[in-house]
Amino acid sequence: MITGGQRFVASPPAFSQDGKKLLVCTGCTVSIFSVSTGMQITELEGGHTDRVTSVVVVPVGAPSSKFMSYCWTSSLDGTICYWDFASAELIKKVKIQFPVHSMVIPSLSTIGSTEEGSNLYAFLSVEDINKPASEKKALHGQVRIYDLKNQKPVGGLLTETRNPEILYASKNGEFLGISNKRKLHIWRIPANNFRFDEIKKIKLHHTKKLTCLAFHSTLRMVAGGDDTGRILIWYNFGREKFAQNLQNLKGTKNPSDEVKPGVRNNDDVDSCTTWHWHPSEVKFLHFSSDGAYLYSGGNEGVIVVWQIDTGKKKFKPRLGSPLLYFTESPDPSLSCVSCSDNHIHLLKMPTMDISKSISGIKPPFSFPLKHEGSCTQVAFEQTTGLVAVSTEDYCVQFYSLFDNHEVSEVQVCKRNFQPADDVMLYVALVAISLDGSLMATIDVTIPEEKLGGLVCLKYWTRGSLVAEYLLSTVIYEPHSDAQVSSLAFRPGHNMAVTSSYGGDFKVWVHGSHASRNNESMQRTGWRCQSVGSYKGKPLTAAVFSADGSVLAIAAETMITLWDPDSNILVAMIGDTLSPITKLSFVGNSEYLVSYTHSLKPQLSVWSTSNLALYWSHGIVTEAVSCSHDESQFAVLALLSSPGDADAKGNGVIFFFHVEDPVPVATWTVTKAKGGSLAFLPANPSLHESSATNGVNQLLLIFMNGEHEYTIFNPHKEEDIISKNSRKSQAAQDEAERLGYTSIYGDLSNTNAKHNHFQEVPFAPSERPWETIFSGSSHVLPPLTKLCTSFFESLLEKRLENSNEMIIDADL
Amino acid sequence: MADESKPFFPVEKAHHVKPPPPRRPRLNTQESRFWRCFRHSELASGLILPVTALEFSPVAPFHLAAACSAAVHLYDGGSSPSLAPLPHSPLSGFSDVAYSPSFRCDGSLLAAGGESGLVQVFRLDKAGPPLRRLSAHARPVRFVRYPRLEDKLHVFSGGDDALLVYWDVPSETQLITFPGAHRDYIRAGSPSPTSPEVMATGSYDHSIKIWDVRVPSSSNAILSFSHGDPVESVLFLPSGGLLATAGGNVVKIWDVIGGGRLIHTMEGHNKTVSALSLGRVGNASTALGGGEPRLLSVSIDGYMKSFDFATFKITHSMRYPAQLLSIGFSPSGNSRVVGTSNGVIYMGMKKKLLQEENGTGSASVFDGYAPEPKKQVLKPTNYRYFHRGQTEKPRETDYPIKRAPKVKLAEHDKLLKKFRHREALVSVLSKKDPTSTVAVMEELVIRKKLLKCVANLDVDELGLLLRFLHKYATMPRYARFLMNLANKVIEMRPEDIQSNKHLSKHVGSLRRRVAEEIMIQRSLQEIQGMISPFLIIAGR
Repeated sequence: MITGGQRFVASPPAFSQDGKKLLVCTGCTVSIFSVSTGMQITELEGGHTDRVTSVVVVPVGAPSSKFMSYCWTSSLDGTICYWDFASAELIKKVKIQFPVHSMVIPSLSTIGSTEEGSNLYAFLSVEDINKPASEKKALHGQVRIYDLKNQKPVGGLLTETRNPEILYASKNGEFLGISNKRKLHIWRIPANNFRFDEIKKIKLHHTKKLTCLAFHSTLRMVAGGDDTGRILIWYNFGREKFAQNLQNLKGTKNPSDEVKPGVRNNDDVDSCTTWHWHPSEVKFLHFSSDGAYLYSGGNEGVIVVWQIDTGKKKFKPRLGSPLLYFTESPDPSLSCVSCSDNHIHLLKMPTMDISKSISGIKPPFSFPLKHEGSCTQVAFEQTTGLVAVSTEDYCVQFYSLFDNHEVSEVQVCKRNFQPADDVMLYVALVAISLDGSLMATIDVTIPEEKLGGLVCLKYWTRGSLVAEYLLSTVIYEPHSDAQVSSLAFRPGHNMAVTSSYGGDFKVWVHGSHASRNNESMQRTGWRCQSVGSYKGKPLTAAVFSADGSVLAIAAETMITLWDPDSNILVAMIGDTLSPITKLSFVGNSEYLVSYTHSLKPQLSVWSTSNLALYWSHGIVTEAVSCSHDESQFAVLALLSSPGDADAKGNGVIFFFHVEDPVPVATWTVTKAKGGSLAFLPANPSLHESSATNGVNQLLLIFMNGEHEYTIFNPHKEEDIISKNSRKSQAAQDEAERLGYTSIYGDLSNTNAKHNHFQEVPFAPSERPWETIFSGSSHVLPPLTKLCTSFFESLLEKRLENSNEMIIDADL
Repeated sequence: MADESKPFFPVEKAHHVKPPPPRRPRLNTQESRFWRCFRHSELASGLILPVTALEFSPVAPFHLAAACSAAVHLYDGGSSPSLAPLPHSPLSGFSDVAYSPSFRCDGSLLAAGGESGLVQVFRLDKAGPPLRRLSAHARPVRFVRYPRLEDKLHVFSGGDDALLVYWDVPSETQLITFPGAHRDYIRAGSPSPTSPEVMATGSYDHSIKIWDVRVPSSSNAILSFSHGDPVESVLFLPSGGLLATAGGNVVKIWDVIGGGRLIHTMEGHNKTVSALSLGRVGNASTALGGGEPRLLSVSIDGYMKSFDFATFKITHSMRYPAQLLSIGFSPSGNSRVVGTSNGVIYMGMKKKLLQEENGTGSASVFDGYAPEPKKQVLKPTNYRYFHRGQTEKPRETDYPIKRAPKVKLAEHDKLLKKFRHREALVSVLSKKDPTSTVAVMEELVIRKKLLKCVANLDVDELGLLLRFLHKYATMPRYARFLMNLANKVIEMRPEDIQSNKHLSKHVGSLRRRVAEEIMIQRSLQEIQGMISPFLIIAGR
């Protein structure tokens, strides 16, 4: 069994201490990625049973411990684990009893405080599970302190909030804060070996709901972002309350009528300024390590860099989706930003260029309600084990299922994506031909008050790279203004079909209408070969049979069979109770399977030889997938009826043999709503195990509503598909380029040139002493020069002689 | 390390998707640089009829003869910057259309054929009646040629009566005649550059024949081969061993010595190739015989192509706005002329005349003393002082950091980026480019802002919008979108439109447009109604 498609951005990631690895919470494991390649190195698994919520890397103290790599992780299952992440080993596990939503260990922030003897206090934001969830007003969130060394809680609650909040700690570990509705709570934590009652707290007030905060690295400055996009910066907070001793405080007590610009409720700060650029909620705030800049980001996908002294802004736009977290690495030239489209971009710091992206499968997005029926977000490419996912930013993402990483992304609509409340343009349908050489997409623009709606069919051909597709044909409004209900390729032919709710279907062929005279007309493209309709009924589904000889089209409750080449209606098959949502041929057999989605859900199997219903079930079907050569198919069914408002989304996968209405096997799954199923051939190049078996086994893939997927073998009870033996994709440790070289590159060796001077071979004439002194005396150089060369020539000679003598001796 | 974040997409790209055009490499070769150093102009002549032939004199100063209608125009090749007509031009001793002027090897006489079938010989130093009139042809003579080598007495002529004649000019007698030399019109021919007695002719019967007047047996060519299309032009290449023929839309290169073997077929033209000429490319001492030889061909598709017959590659092509019929390239390498079917002669004159270059170059060599240019120290009084160092080239050891290329954005793109939707709409409306205007409107629809923009336009801007609508609303490409928009605009702003005279005028013309369109649609439907029964019958 292979799982994949986890969310990388559920919680903030953390850099390792050398800045070469990134620890990312992926479900109940922690994945470690290499910063230089963006590939996964290892995974910390086996410690947690629920979602990991935070990772805290233990900083390196002494240089001797440079190769130590330890981290603490907290999880919703109420445990905190201590790992050695270099070797991916679990060292210690601490039980908390409460689901931990956020954890900070402030004393770890100061390097050198990790020596033995000092206590390790973790501050936890936990959920109080004793209070019933039905009490909406109850205070479910608590902030607790836990002594990780002695494994016992310390003191009482710091505070209680409505929901568990995320904890923020300042860089030197002195302050700790949370945002609670319209207030910031800030605690000052004394240095080592503190007592619980030494912790002091102040509150900072605002008039809007605060969403995030950040502490300045050196100054007493805190920034808070609210849900209207404002950023508030409080200077010099807690001057009175956090003063070192009380006597001092009394002596310097300020009069209460002191002017504090911008401060509300007489908070304990000197002043407060407000910046406003973000149009909606601020998702993160982060002070740069030198304290000169503040990074902020939010829904609009732009990192704003504020110069703190002046309030001037710089932007990093077009990151493609709402931003969630910003993490800085120990290396000042590297940081990363997590986007809600399941991507973590590694940024080269001063310029903020994206150097690498850790890209997970993009999450599903919500279609506008009216059009939901006619959308498939997921298409599987059988040959290479890729899944094509249509994304919110008008792309189709190709994701390798077996390798669990992104392969490529095809921009379907070349439009700048702006995260907005309502989707007006989306990629509705994606279809890929069986061999993967062709792709077709349909993108829909929703009209603004019946103005400007557009349906656009695009055909793509595969380029030279894997999953690289090039646009070949654009067809505007393939069915005038009717919505396209389905799109399918004919196996083995360059032919596709689209059916529309407007009551007609079109068969498209790829042809080159080359005419000899005109060169510009020699471009190939897709054109409509034939148009058909059945009694003017809306056509809800279309599919080709596995060998491509029959085209089945559902005209609401009827199934019509067509000859795709001559466009002749061959047969009709009888009636369902409500309009058919999807059709599929079962392998090479003569059976068709269909399901309906409305109030009377039905899963039906039809026989094309008898033109009659074979068997049917009244189950709510979400997806059907048929294997290509065997007469088996899998059905994903929901356990709740579609009318149910609070459907949990639990479902069942049934594995049917077409002859038998009793399922061969069943599996229960969660989050089945919006899920999909597909059969994939086990790729021998990826799976040594199946290659050794010699049997080309068929694997079933289930992708749930959040695009997490599982691949398993439906034929075996205990499926033991070896976990994809992932080659360690760590980069070779290349010499770290820091400081000067990271900016200007290596200095080229300027001395190199001097060495290249040709060494003139010193070739003394046979007997220099004979000629060196000859000539008239006024032409001769001074005697001192002549003598040295004379002696040198003698020395040379002597050396040669000595060499010869040695050789003679050897002989 | 490239930034992998997404590029900025201009709005037109987003809404008018086209598959990428086949990319053509940007030509910046030595060859294209050579062809670019010609200054282009039209040789003012006021001619209307096609320029059927252009011929440069083989001796300096390389006069040009152009056959057009019933005259041969002469231009002075030594004049600059443009070829000027000679004082006694044009030669007008023709009773009908003149064809195929040909200079004698010493450039003092010119022979030309004509529609009347008469071959006439003119003197070039002064005006006057033709010196000799050679009459043998019964049909138009399209091919008259002096031999290229030192032979001042003879001339070849071939006509539409398929007759090829070898004349003795002084006595006006036919030395040799080849009656029925071809089975169709003789339209082209070329004297051999190596022998004054050898001549190649091409005809509309697709064949090319090589004749030698020394061979006694008449009426049989020494070599004959078929081009495959009616031959429009024949040209011996300088070696005399290769022959280029043009016919149809191909140019073929033949090996004459090897018995008429086809060596290469050049298929660069889309329409019939009308003329061939020899040219020389290259700047180094091009004066005479320098530079690389090229075969220049022109076609009635309007392209002139330069073909390197050493490597068999088309090295350059140039487009002209008319059908091209003739081409000439001055032996001096200074000018190039192309004649078109509408009487315009396009001329390219070298920007720097070659002989001047030679003159200055040699002077400095012979002086023997070349003073080193004194390097002036820049002072702050000098303007260049403030620009010093800006054009400095990086040294080998320097590590150049490239500045990110600046993205050029249109005005409306910039405004859309700032979410200033109404300004973007107004700015693109005032540009009057329908494609980008519709693209901006579609983008606004996606942002759900179009109707708000329309509601916020003031009267002048509304006038712009209505003007745009009445101009383009019925254009089929945009009609479905713009008609709806026009409806909405009129629904939304009735008071403004009624109160303002200009706006109501726009709406009036819009209504007229729509009425017209409805009429067109109706008549189209009628036609469809008439045709569809036929189609159904034909379908059976």
